[in-house]
Amino acid sequence: MALLQIKDLTFTYPEAEKPVLDAINLNIKQGEFVVLFGESGSGKTTLLKLLKRELTPHGEKNGTITYDGIQVSELTDRVSASEIGYVMQNPETQIVTDKVWHELSFGLENLGIKTPVIRRRVGEIANFFGIHTLFRKNTTDLSGGQKQLLNLAAIMVMRPKVLILDEPTSQLDPIAATNFINTLKMLNEELGLTIILVEHRLEEVLPLADRVILLEKGKLLLESEPRLIGDKLIRLDKEHKMFLALPTSIQVYHALGFSGKSPLTIREGRKFLADHYEATSSDLIEDTHINKEVAIELKEVWYRYERDLPDVLANVNLKVYKGEILSILGGNGSGKTTLLNVMSGVAKAYRGKTFVNNKQIKKYKTRELYRHNLAVLPQDPQTIFIKSTLREDYAEIMKVLGFNESDIERETLKIANELSITHLLDSHPYDLSGGEQQKAALGKILLLNPKILLLDEPTKGIDAFSKKVLAEILKKLQREGLTLILVTHDIEFSALISDRVGLFFDSEMISLDTPIKFFSENNFYTTAASRMSRHLFDYTVTKNQIIKACEYQDE
Amino acid sequence: MRKDILIIGFVILIIAVLFSGTKIQSVEDYYQTHVDDITEDSETIFITIEATTILNNLDQLDPELKDEKYVPKDGIILAKSEYVLRKNDTVFDVLKRTTRHNKIHLDFQGASENSFKSAYIKGINHIYEYSCGSLSGWMYEVNNKFPDQGLSRYKLKDGDEIALRYTCDLGRDLGQEVKEY
Amino acid sequence: MKSFVSTHPVVLFLYYISVVFMTMFMMHPAILILSLLGALLFFFMLGPTKQFLRDTGFYLFVFILIAVTNPLFVHRGETILFFLNDNPVTKEAFVYGVVIAAMLVAIIFWSKSYTLLMTSDKFVFLFGKAIPKLSLIISMALRFIPLFKTQMKKVNNTQKTLGIYTSKSFFDRILSGVRVFNSLLTWSLENSISQADSMKSRGYGLKGRTNFSLFKWSSRDCRLLIVIASIFIIVMYLNIKGVYTFNYYPVVSNFEFSIKHSFELSIVLMLMILPTLVEIKENLQWRYYKSKI
Repeated sequence: MALLQIKDLTFTYPEAEKPVLDAINLNIKQGEFVVLFGESGSGKTTLLKLLKRELTPHGEKNGTITYDGIQVSELTDRVSASEIGYVMQNPETQIVTDKVWHELSFGLENLGIKTPVIRRRVGEIANFFGIHTLFRKNTTDLSGGQKQLLNLAAIMVMRPKVLILDEPTSQLDPIAATNFINTLKMLNEELGLTIILVEHRLEEVLPLADRVILLEKGKLLLESEPRLIGDKLIRLDKEHKMFLALPTSIQVYHALGFSGKSPLTIREGRKFLADHYEATSSDLIEDTHINKEVAIELKEVWYRYERDLPDVLANVNLKVYKGEILSILGGNGSGKTTLLNVMSGVAKAYRGKTFVNNKQIKKYKTRELYRHNLAVLPQDPQTIFIKSTLREDYAEIMKVLGFNESDIERETLKIANELSITHLLDSHPYDLSGGEQQKAALGKILLLNPKILLLDEPTKGIDAFSKKVLAEILKKLQREGLTLILVTHDIEFSALISDRVGLFFDSEMISLDTPIKFFSENNFYTTAASRMSRHLFDYTVTKNQIIKACEYQDE
Repeated sequence: MRKDILIIGFVILIIAVLFSGTKIQSVEDYYQTHVDDITEDSETIFITIEATTILNNLDQLDPELKDEKYVPKDGIILAKSEYVLRKNDTVFDVLKRTTRHNKIHLDFQGASENSFKSAYIKGINHIYEYSCGSLSGWMYEVNNKFPDQGLSRYKLKDGDEIALRYTCDLGRDLGQEVKEY
Repeated sequence: MKSFVSTHPVVLFLYYISVVFMTMFMMHPAILILSLLGALLFFFMLGPTKQFLRDTGFYLFVFILIAVTNPLFVHRGETILFFLNDNPVTKEAFVYGVVIAAMLVAIIFWSKSYTLLMTSDKFVFLFGKAIPKLSLIISMALRFIPLFKTQMKKVNNTQKTLGIYTSKSFFDRILSGVRVFNSLLTWSLENSISQADSMKSRGYGLKGRTNFSLFKWSSRDCRLLIVIASIFIIVMYLNIKGVYTFNYYPVVSNFEFSIKHSFELSIVLMLMILPTLVEIKENLQWRYYKSKI
């Protein structure tokens, strides 16, 4: 019998016209690893919350959900709290207490377990998760990845039978995300834990899953084993949006006209390519008509937070040319965000010079620098919004810029149209999804009519389709003459849109090149597409480039 | 930051002390005061300072005051003495002058330091309020009556008899009716 | 290795209570000087020397300030040194000022080491025993405050790069502050909703919640507690007997030195330098073990 059984589940939020979930039927067996994906607004989160009674939203629910044969609403409090674990998206907001050990013991305290037993179970779990060295630390001192692991551990210590996770890695950097997913794999394989995971980073998750489920507009669109998801999706709709979310190997496999069971991992992708195509060498053809006019220049810039702390930036030299898209990659804490802050004038270098449009940054007045000149999209788009609707937020900034009422209306609509967020104008900024928030924030920044745009982790927490839309918007801005500088972890995204890519490491810029050269010369720090195809082709760093190279052979 | 504030506070304090007019005198200088000689036509008053009530309440007296230096055997600190009355003299002026003349210790709260707008006697001859139980303190009498005014507001006239009396029981032991406020 | 730190919070707390109580309510100059000595020594053991010197320098200044101020305002005392504006400045008031200053500085140094020793988790533990809900609230607040600060910084930076209300004018700064505060308010509401969800989903609100802590009672804690409690009781008994009575007005009491008196004061000394002794003992032990390796 299934551990979790969902039967004809329909759910409608109060005052909503359409149900957010529509006749869902789903059985999940003990020990299964199920991955759910779908666009934002497809009802994924609602479905997960209905499985966890304490989080069940208000609304009209029809159909039944049973856990171990008992209706979820009739479980005892204790069983519901301890046996069904739930990890949320934001690692920050789930942590309740100030110390790691206290956070780990919080759930057990609630269950009324005695101190010696708590001591044992907390110790055990800290060791299992490898966070025993953090045991006595303050929770605020942890990195994002450590925080999310702590959240997971704080739930696992209650020994749940089912673990539900809602995009747990969306706020993490790639290395922390991989680490987190590996931990999930271990929990599933070694403890036989049942896992239900919503995720848009499918590249790493899909190979672990027993089953993949695609939700669309509240309906269960597809249910399949991972190897067949691409096949099924293409049969349903050749141009389906969510195709973009699938791992590179699946996308390449189907784009080249294959069908049936697809390769899942990089290794399988490599084998598939080698089986069907031959190695060819080619010359690098790049159009390098980069504008030689300089937009931002850093000359021997040094920066540190405090006098007694080490340098974050040491002797950094960098020229950013007008009209280019430059991506700066680098690990957590490498100083790349600080680099961005120095360029935007938020952080002041203690030695060296920063020029914006050939004028030293400290000679600018604030107004001059941030109006019609330089703008920043921060990592956390929420920090941009002040008012209770997007429209008010936009109006405020334009009022300051000196627009009159009718201009404000016109400009707001213009920018909203461009970013296709017109329908969101009257919502509260905090109610938007990650992708929508990102676009809305970008809209507010663009009202300042900048010539240079600095973006800090613009793809953090947004799904594959929103990423594609964002890439299109950024490309369009570039055509309009803007200079864009991105600081990002997202290798794939930077390969897709940049003119130049640089790696920031050990407080300096160690390599700076076109993405094709940069990623094909790197062995580890490179795109999935490059890793999958480097044994056959010389310069294929995006999936489209692989597809092109393969199609060339077919002809 | 906090240190700066303290240093500034200190400097302000010093300046305030200097500006409020500082007069430093040695003990001898201070007590070498001139008292008007009594002549035939000078107006005079009489003053007494006594703490006889303490003698009945010795168990309540602070142990460090159990010495004839502070509480004489008969309780009389200053026997009835005659002094010249100057123009506009208040009880307080006369008290200050006589204690200084007799080198008797006097500790008071100035009229500007309290809410009664009148000087208040804290201690005479090291005997302070609360020195003999929680109801004790100094009171004054003019012509055997307890005035309703503070002692730096009471103007004296020729022949007035002043007495500063120490009470151990809010004045009841001095025959004073205690008014309920 | 700081060993007094690892003492059980209850013992730590009782120690500080008794020391501060004795310092504040027993006005014997010897006790105050011993207390000051103990506080300084222990703070010296704990912190870096540089900070110790800086703090000591500063509090020396405070000490003098208080010692000088008292005779200016208090005119009690028999031994008049001179008259200032017709008011006597007495030796007794000066001595009393010095004693009060010693008391204040001693208390300040005790609280300095107290804040170093009584970390938030110990504090939470102590009060959790009495009021379980409060301890959770404190713990949550301690987490929220730094979070709030970081968010404030983030919003400030973002708003700065938006170039709105960034001039240095007073009015602009107020407006900008109001805006940032607004944003922070929404953020903390959002934050608390999701935190409440996280708490509920981990069973908060179930009956019979327990309080877990990392602190374990050891035999060393027992010994320390016995020492502290017995000294405190003896001292209190002697105090009631009047052994530690000391007067400042109208004359400063005589300080006679006798063998009996030296015993009465040496037990106070014991209590005051107890943490320092514990530290020294542990240091010596450590060195001994190291030399054996």
